[in-house]
Amino acid sequence: MAQQSQKKEPGFFGKIKEEFTTAESRTAYYMTVPTLAVILIVAFFPIMYSMILSFQQVTPQQTFGTFVGLQNYVAMFQDPSFRDAFFNTTVFTVVSVALEFVLGLAIALAINRQFRGRGMVRAAVLVPWAFPLVVSALMWRLMYQDQIGIINYVANTLGLITQPILTDEGLLLIGAIVSDVWKTTPFVALLLLAGLQTIPGDVYEAARVDGASRVQQFFKITMPLLKGSILVALLFRTLDAWRIYDLFWVMSDRQLESFSTYVYKAVRISQLNFPLGNAAAVFIFLSALVLAFIFIKGFGMQTSPGGK
Amino acid sequence: MSAGRSMNRRDFLKLSGAGLAGATLLGAAACGGGGGEAQNGDGPIEIIFSFGPDDSGTLQEVVSRFNEEHEGEIQVNYREMPADTGQYFDQLRTEFQAGGGDIDVIGGDVIWPAQFAANGWILDLSDRFTEEDRQEFLEGPIESNTYDGSVWGVPWFTDAGMMYYRQDLLEEAGFSEPPETWDELKEMALETAEATGTQFGFVFQGAQYEGGVVNGLEYIWTHGGDALSEEGSEVTISEPPAVSGLETQRSMIDDGVSPDAVSSYKEQESHEAFLRGDAVFLRNWPYVYALAGDEGESEVSQDQIGIAPIPTGPDGGSFSGLGGWNFYINAASDPEVQDAAYEFIQFATSTEIQRFRALEGSFLPTRTELYDDQEIQDTVPVIALGRENLERSRPRPVSPVYSDMSLIMQEQFNSSLRGQKPPQQAADDAGNEMQSIVDRAESL
Amino acid sequence: MAAATSSGSGNLWRSVAFYAFIAFFLLVALFPLLWVFKMSIITRAEIFASPPTILPNTLTGTSYETIFSDARFQRAILNSVIVAGVTTVICLFLGSIAAYAIARLRFRFKSPFLTLILAIAFFPPVAIIAPLFVQFSQAGIINTYASLIIPDVVFALPLTVWLLVAFFKELPFDLEEAAKVDGATTLQAFWKVIVPLSAPGVFTTAILTFIFAWNEFLFANTFAFDISVQPVTVVIPQFATIYTVDYGAQAAAAVVVTIPLVILVLIFQRRIVSGLTAGAVKG
Repeated sequence: MAQQSQKKEPGFFGKIKEEFTTAESRTAYYMTVPTLAVILIVAFFPIMYSMILSFQQVTPQQTFGTFVGLQNYVAMFQDPSFRDAFFNTTVFTVVSVALEFVLGLAIALAINRQFRGRGMVRAAVLVPWAFPLVVSALMWRLMYQDQIGIINYVANTLGLITQPILTDEGLLLIGAIVSDVWKTTPFVALLLLAGLQTIPGDVYEAARVDGASRVQQFFKITMPLLKGSILVALLFRTLDAWRIYDLFWVMSDRQLESFSTYVYKAVRISQLNFPLGNAAAVFIFLSALVLAFIFIKGFGMQTSPGGK
Repeated sequence: MSAGRSMNRRDFLKLSGAGLAGATLLGAAACGGGGGEAQNGDGPIEIIFSFGPDDSGTLQEVVSRFNEEHEGEIQVNYREMPADTGQYFDQLRTEFQAGGGDIDVIGGDVIWPAQFAANGWILDLSDRFTEEDRQEFLEGPIESNTYDGSVWGVPWFTDAGMMYYRQDLLEEAGFSEPPETWDELKEMALETAEATGTQFGFVFQGAQYEGGVVNGLEYIWTHGGDALSEEGSEVTISEPPAVSGLETQRSMIDDGVSPDAVSSYKEQESHEAFLRGDAVFLRNWPYVYALAGDEGESEVSQDQIGIAPIPTGPDGGSFSGLGGWNFYINAASDPEVQDAAYEFIQFATSTEIQRFRALEGSFLPTRTELYDDQEIQDTVPVIALGRENLERSRPRPVSPVYSDMSLIMQEQFNSSLRGQKPPQQAADDAGNEMQSIVDRAESL
Repeated sequence: MAAATSSGSGNLWRSVAFYAFIAFFLLVALFPLLWVFKMSIITRAEIFASPPTILPNTLTGTSYETIFSDARFQRAILNSVIVAGVTTVICLFLGSIAAYAIARLRFRFKSPFLTLILAIAFFPPVAIIAPLFVQFSQAGIINTYASLIIPDVVFALPLTVWLLVAFFKELPFDLEEAAKVDGATTLQAFWKVIVPLSAPGVFTTAILTFIFAWNEFLFANTFAFDISVQPVTVVIPQFATIYTVDYGAQAAAAVVVTIPLVILVLIFQRRIVSGLTAGAVKG
């Protein structure tokens, strides 16, 4: 039915019309339209509105302000708080995703076999994942606190820190990374483990016969065959880290700035930074888009579930 | 903020709002709960009164007493807001921006009126709360309610920075009087901590939050400086007196008087250290004195504790940061609701009710006459002990863009205290950023 | 059975090392939860003890009494259940019909649709709080359950659709054909045949969507002003009075909101793992 359309190329509206002539595709559109509409109205319409506002001098009380070109973006990049947010978010994303990937892969490789207690391990792995991020942030804050915090106490006793963790931005950032690694490494490990399990054992058998060492097997077989899973895990984690809000907000008690906390403060707390907040909102949206594009086009990631 | 603009905005938003509501009808229809109910034609006038959690239980009592007295006429409903002042403020502002919201009486922080008033969100109370009425109240809280020549709130209960000290420990170390200057405090704190084996000399609130601003400003004021000039158009925070205030604050950590962690302390952490007997001095609010009377909370008893004015620098007087809460009325409420709301405010700030709240919940009254009330002085000694602090209380800058200024001061005071940058630089950075805020605010 | 295929002392050591690694891993994964649980059952004095105690010395139920006698907390749990529950129902409804079309019907704009839905998974929610705020206010639904459920639905939908597409694709394609031969329409085939057959997958999706909505914080923190609508994620960090924070009660609250999730996870771990990894490994 769908092949008919390849014969001649009608215009865009023609194509749409044509699509509605077959019962199957008509039903398909009826079925997808509600989801599509909700997404467009609740997410894309507002981001378009933010984009318009980001080029204007505007207060939270106005619908539209006066056009000022790129002025808000310039002011945003000059704002020391935004630079902090840029630095923190970038470091946080790069370091935590890298650690989660390396540790997750190590764990996945280690538990990719039959052993007693495997179910228990898998369940335990899911516990940090299921934690509300806010609760996990609060929990780690309690452990970092100088009067009652076990981690602060141990780190201090071992001489690892010269300052209480919560008083130093560097330590807070490290603390945020540690808590994120704790929470999401298991998730990455699960994704990679699932990928590992789809690699048939006889591939390794053949390689062994050819005299490939374990290291060679890892780089020549495991990694290429795991590429799809790795990309999915990395993309999810990167974009999640890039928009981090809950963890920074609660764990550092509003002290550590990320892109999202910057936007939140500008549009919800400040009286004057509303336009900068809109510019930052657009910035974080576009940069996330670019990151996703790099993963999907640059690395050739497959985006449809279940394969074709 | 012109009327024409707001009309456009309303139409535009209604349109988009309608689209949104339509598309997500399913979601909205499935969950009608949570919203406020409409006012009935008959029956009592319903008032929503917002305030943070009432852990003393006295607020509930006041509300129900009022409701009993006005049965059939006015019904006040208490809506609990977040304990965190910043979050409470965010939510109120959010409601106001959303077109007024349904809260009629706001029990609000003393730093809010200018911002609310400048946006036309709260009612000008100058006519209701007359000059004559005002004379019966403490000066500091009235000042905090005065913006643009009008009075926007009625003082409810007050707060002021107190310098708590451990009388027993000072005596043990051979000091008979509390310190009058910061230098004396440092010396006494170090010697006493040393002599008595106490962990810390002095704890206060140094975290990056509103309380950190009050602490920082106290150092600045007591060194003869200020954040803004008298008329509010000029930023004076990078001038020498202010800088020396921040230097003194930083020296608390440098000289080992205060722990490093003090730069992450809020009220809780600092009073915890003091009440567990780990600190000789504590700068905090009056509530701590009542906590010291509670054996479950404190290992230190009230008779071991003294209260002194905030110490001074080389050239400044003693000032206490003013805290506390006022009542405001939502400008968007119906006129008859506003009248009823003011009636509730009069009731809640009356001598009798303030006396009740002072005796039962240790809330510091805003009516001057109550400070001479013998029973209050006996039951709530902090009122007598801290009277000097209350009389020297000073409001933070009264500005319509205070929340932006506060964000900057929070960050810069904290980075100076942490030693991330020298006090001079923190003050310069704060000065530049605050000046740009003042300029931008004027151009709006 | 790590050493099933070989024998000898080298392998024994390898086994020991392996289980030591597993034990260490379990400890790290569970330590924070155990620590917070410990904080929730000891006295105030012990919470502040220095050096901290490793095992609880002074057991008490005070913290749990505090939170369970607190009307705010009860209300917050109820709010969370309502918001997450309604979100899950709506997501399943919208998501399953969309996923069915994507998985089993042919139409031209399928791939842009899917891309658009997936784009939401990467969308920074903070970018739209300001405009949404204004819209919700004008529509009069700010500070209602709807103001939390609407954005939650949108951000949970990609997950729901993604999982359901993967599950629906697993079913053999001649199922509907058979149903249609019997005279059923596409929709009937979907409701009567596909949905019942993929019930386990739908169920897994429901659990994951529920957890997602249960854990949401940003929208709740922005659009819910008071305790009548605020869910637990917003209320717990605020578990305090104006000046004092009750650490024990915070810890107890953290335990209480996490336990249901941990139980769900333990019971359905196999399903959840298959759901989480659905699609991700087959591409």
